[in-house]
Amino acid sequence: MRYDAILNVNGTDFPVEIEPHRSLLSVVRTELGMPGSKEGCDDSECGACMMLLDGEPVNSCSFLALQAQGRTITTVEGLAGNGELHPLQRQFLAQGGVQCGFCTPGMLISAKALLDRNPDPGEDEIRIALSGNLCRCTGYQGIVRAVQAAAQEMAGA
Amino acid sequence: MSATYTAAATLPEALAALAGGARPVAGGTDLVVGARQGKAPLPDSLVAIHGLEELRGISETSGGGLWIGALVSHSELVAHPAVRDRYTALADASAIVGSHATRHVGTLGGNVMNASPAMETGGPLICFGAEAVLASQSGERRVAVESLLTGPGRTDARPDELLVAIELPATAGGSCYARLEYRRQMEIAVVGATCSVTLDGSGVGSARVAITALTPRIVRVPAAEAALAGSDGGADAVQAAADAAAAASQPISDVRASADYRRAMAAVIARRAIAAAVARARGSSESVPIPASPALHGAD
Amino acid sequence: MAVVEEKRQPFIRQDGKDKVTGLGRYTADLARTGMLHARFRYSDHPHARVLRIDTSAAKALPGVFAVLTQDDVPDVRYGGFVEDRTLFAKDVVRFEGEVIAAVAAITQEIADRAVELIQVDYEPLPAISDPEQALAPGAILIHEGWEGYGGNEDVVRDGNDGSHSTIKKGDVEAALASADEVVKERYVADMSHAVPIEPRAIVAEWQGDKVTVWTSTQVPFIARSGVATTLQMPEADVRIIVPYLGGGFGGKCDFHYEAHVAALARAARRPVRLVFTRREEFVAPDHRREGQVLELETGVMRDGTIVARSARLVLDNGAYAGDAPFFPQLAAMMAVGPYRVPNVWVDAHLAYTNTTPSGSVRAPTAPQACWGLELHMDAVAERIGLDPVEFRRRNIVRPGDETATKQVLETIAAAESLERAVEMIGYGRELPPDEAFGVACGWWPTFAQPSGAHVKLHGDGSGTIVTGAQECGTGSVMALPLLAAEVLGMRPEQFTVVYQDTDAGPWDAGASGSQTTTNNGRAVVEAAVDVRNQLLELAEEVLEAARADLELVDGRVRVKGSPSTGVDITELAEKAAGDKLLLGRGSGAPPASPDCDISGCTGRLGSESFLAPTFMTHAVRCKVDRATGVVRVLEVAAAHDSGRVLNPVGANGQVEGGVAMGIGMALTEGSQLSDDGRQLNPYLLDYKLQTAADVPAIEVEWVGDPDPTAGPNGAKAVAEPPCVPTPGAVGNAIAKVAGRVHSLPMTPARVWEAMQR
Repeated sequence: MRYDAILNVNGTDFPVEIEPHRSLLSVVRTELGMPGSKEGCDDSECGACMMLLDGEPVNSCSFLALQAQGRTITTVEGLAGNGELHPLQRQFLAQGGVQCGFCTPGMLISAKALLDRNPDPGEDEIRIALSGNLCRCTGYQGIVRAVQAAAQEMAGA
Repeated sequence: MSATYTAAATLPEALAALAGGARPVAGGTDLVVGARQGKAPLPDSLVAIHGLEELRGISETSGGGLWIGALVSHSELVAHPAVRDRYTALADASAIVGSHATRHVGTLGGNVMNASPAMETGGPLICFGAEAVLASQSGERRVAVESLLTGPGRTDARPDELLVAIELPATAGGSCYARLEYRRQMEIAVVGATCSVTLDGSGVGSARVAITALTPRIVRVPAAEAALAGSDGGADAVQAAADAAAAASQPISDVRASADYRRAMAAVIARRAIAAAVARARGSSESVPIPASPALHGAD
Repeated sequence: MAVVEEKRQPFIRQDGKDKVTGLGRYTADLARTGMLHARFRYSDHPHARVLRIDTSAAKALPGVFAVLTQDDVPDVRYGGFVEDRTLFAKDVVRFEGEVIAAVAAITQEIADRAVELIQVDYEPLPAISDPEQALAPGAILIHEGWEGYGGNEDVVRDGNDGSHSTIKKGDVEAALASADEVVKERYVADMSHAVPIEPRAIVAEWQGDKVTVWTSTQVPFIARSGVATTLQMPEADVRIIVPYLGGGFGGKCDFHYEAHVAALARAARRPVRLVFTRREEFVAPDHRREGQVLELETGVMRDGTIVARSARLVLDNGAYAGDAPFFPQLAAMMAVGPYRVPNVWVDAHLAYTNTTPSGSVRAPTAPQACWGLELHMDAVAERIGLDPVEFRRRNIVRPGDETATKQVLETIAAAESLERAVEMIGYGRELPPDEAFGVACGWWPTFAQPSGAHVKLHGDGSGTIVTGAQECGTGSVMALPLLAAEVLGMRPEQFTVVYQDTDAGPWDAGASGSQTTTNNGRAVVEAAVDVRNQLLELAEEVLEAARADLELVDGRVRVKGSPSTGVDITELAEKAAGDKLLLGRGSGAPPASPDCDISGCTGRLGSESFLAPTFMTHAVRCKVDRATGVVRVLEVAAAHDSGRVLNPVGANGQVEGGVAMGIGMALTEGSQLSDDGRQLNPYLLDYKLQTAADVPAIEVEWVGDPDPTAGPNGAKAVAEPPCVPTPGAVGNAIAKVAGRVHSLPMTPARVWEAMQR
């Protein structure tokens, strides 16, 4: 049976009517019409679906949508404010952190969670924070550079 | 599709739902992931327990131990000073569960109740003599974690019981959990070992040793403990204990490793966990021995 | 000197903003009105006769709109080289991922249930998972009708041997007999996969007799002709559009399931979407990387000169040929490597097995063959007591040297790549215990293909490049504006690119064979030159000057030597808008294959000569945990000779990504198979990719000169070479601490076992 719920995504309340087994990823992509977060695997191993739940990263493919009620959900679509790209988004582009782009939404989410928690991470800390997001294109180097550059930019601002 | 869902706001609500046949879900990092993998479908009737405040928090007990709510996440465990200082093996284990995201969302209670023979926190909990606190409409029951885990994916808990907390008795000395993994993150133990020792003078007083991913359920190895207890904690005693740990293992062959390799690695990983526990008991701040880490020093 | 376009401003890719804001649409993100959901019914056995398929219960399930089997589509055999397959299983199933039927239903859940209701009766047959077993006398024939298959006449086939090639040069027997030392070894590489992070997806929708298929393919025109051939319709009625593609690496090359989904949509009379799970992505598509058995024998003189190479290679085709028939010849070239070898005999075979078919995956055959060869080279060096780098130095090809097929190599910098890589890694310095250096050299050709492009300038002076090329993430299509801008004296940002739509752009081979910059780049340059000539014609009038005296710089056409005398291109474009179109076309005729001599060689399928080969050396520093066999790669230095490097950010990204892939292949990536050929680890927990925490810092340098036989202004292959030498370099480092591991991946257990010997 379906249950009424309100999901707060990127600051907006969305009323939904969904079955218990639906994942947060599936509801956000389908009912909420926001397919920025991706589905890349069957076993919660790739991180392409990463979202923030109250600021902490979660593999949304393996999180029940109904359990996200009353929490704040952030997806990649919510990173840019007022049409301005977030420094992470800007630096991912400038530093060669984007190739096919499929891992990018999840990577940005994990990177944001990291910088919100620690504005000045060392390289190994960055790599561990991103290790839940698999990338097949970049070898991670451009992504690590992007996070470092964004951290610098955000510290300087 | 007739699945039902309720989000319990209080413990009595949750227990009533369980009595009615619902299954609990906290972070979902085993339950929902398992369903996606095709291991077992999601239960038709679910009670979400993430709203139960009484299952959160870590607090000191009057006996000098620690009370850990079932909903405490791995990342909370890693960060908590008392866990890091006194129950270091548990911090070692929680630090390496899955990935960042898994550690934030995954709970200690979920880890225990999933009862995987390879789950990270089981060895440390058993070595520390942890007790599981189970609640149901008929009251509260305590079971040693060692007895709670009865087999792969199986526990002693009744379907209407909910794990609400883990209680750790007071402890002293040093401890370590180490595992064999093939990459640095997003891993599951190929083999694991836990050791907790207290000192008697400069030698070992008491010892607890447990092996992970080597038997159908995580178990202590009395022969390994006997080799350590009362010894000087030197290389020979450590090796003897490690060999005993390997001898106690009943490894399987699967896609991750052959039984032969697992058995050989049991001795290696047990040796590392034991040596680190002894060193920590003596006051050093050994980092977790990670295979082939650039930081690993004086390994074997 | 390497020509690297450093002076440009960092170039932001046109698709970048969409990708970082989550607004970019990939195929699984698309929905069409009335869309149905598809699911395939796969074979229950890796090898069996199909006796009966009963779809009646599935068809009767409410919500099911179509259930198709081979009886519902034209009875067409297809295949790029050998026409050995049909869309759905017919009579015999040959691997676990063979599609028996397809369902389209109103929800995914109903489609999944319908699939389970399809009843199939089989007569199981013995299944072969080992390619050497498949070639043994008396092995069951995997394709009983192989002799009747049509296809490319140059493929040499015989029963389970799907393609046989040999390379012969000089007199290898005599040379081995007279060599000071002969080293003979055997290496075995396991099956592995492309693993793009996006599992494939397809949406098909009909309008009348025409179908539009949105699909995650690297090769839209190949997909188009596949649909046209198998559904027996004109290519003009098939439109293939690629939305953003989430990586390919060869796994999404070739025609796969576009016709299945188009057929479902036609039968259901509604649009249909198919989205693969990760498990399906591992098991079903016929483009995984083949396993190889390499038996290598080298004759060498004490002074380090290689005099002979003899080799027998057996490559695992899987159940269907796909594009693999050219692999044996290519692998044979890889088994000789970028070295001077005067006497060669390589005998290479491609064996059918009852496993997921193999096909081109990033630098097909090369990472495995290079791994085997480079470990073997170190073994040879060891035998004669020579340092492995010095051994390579004495044998690596230099300008003027010839290959195994007597092609003379001209503008090459293989030796320079070796010297730079070892210098970058600090080779020879003392290392802590259990750490070691490893070095490997490789090479990779560019593939010449026809291609086409149009360039248009609009009335306001902005431009559009229209190309059939496909962008799988490498940035090759995104960089096309750099080429047009260079020719026209404009800025790259002034150009948009219309791409990966078979109705819009001219034919292109797609994101395969490292060919986009070389072939489509050439076409874009030609089209831009066409527009340039039109602008000069207009400017001649306006400036009353001869075109020989004019140049295009900074958005203006101006008189050489008198820069203030000129006219803005925008003004010319405005002037032209009301009158003639500024439209250029280019096809850039593909360069001819270099001369070579293949008398005595058999099974020639185009890899006998290498057009504008890229040469690369990877040097690594690894640490081996002796007690467990776990290996960490601590540092990588990569020196590549790719001629002129058009887009350094993109090119460096290709090397960094390729190295990470190579480390995965070296240490953790490999399919394990059951005895009857089923994959045991078709999921990411146990098919382990390297994470950000595993991959070390990678230093990249470009060496060499622009190659005049290569792409625009001398650019050579960039995208495939980077994953080639990494497994070999890692293996050579491991060998110094633990001993040589003859199986790939060199897992901890295998490394540990090497130490027990």
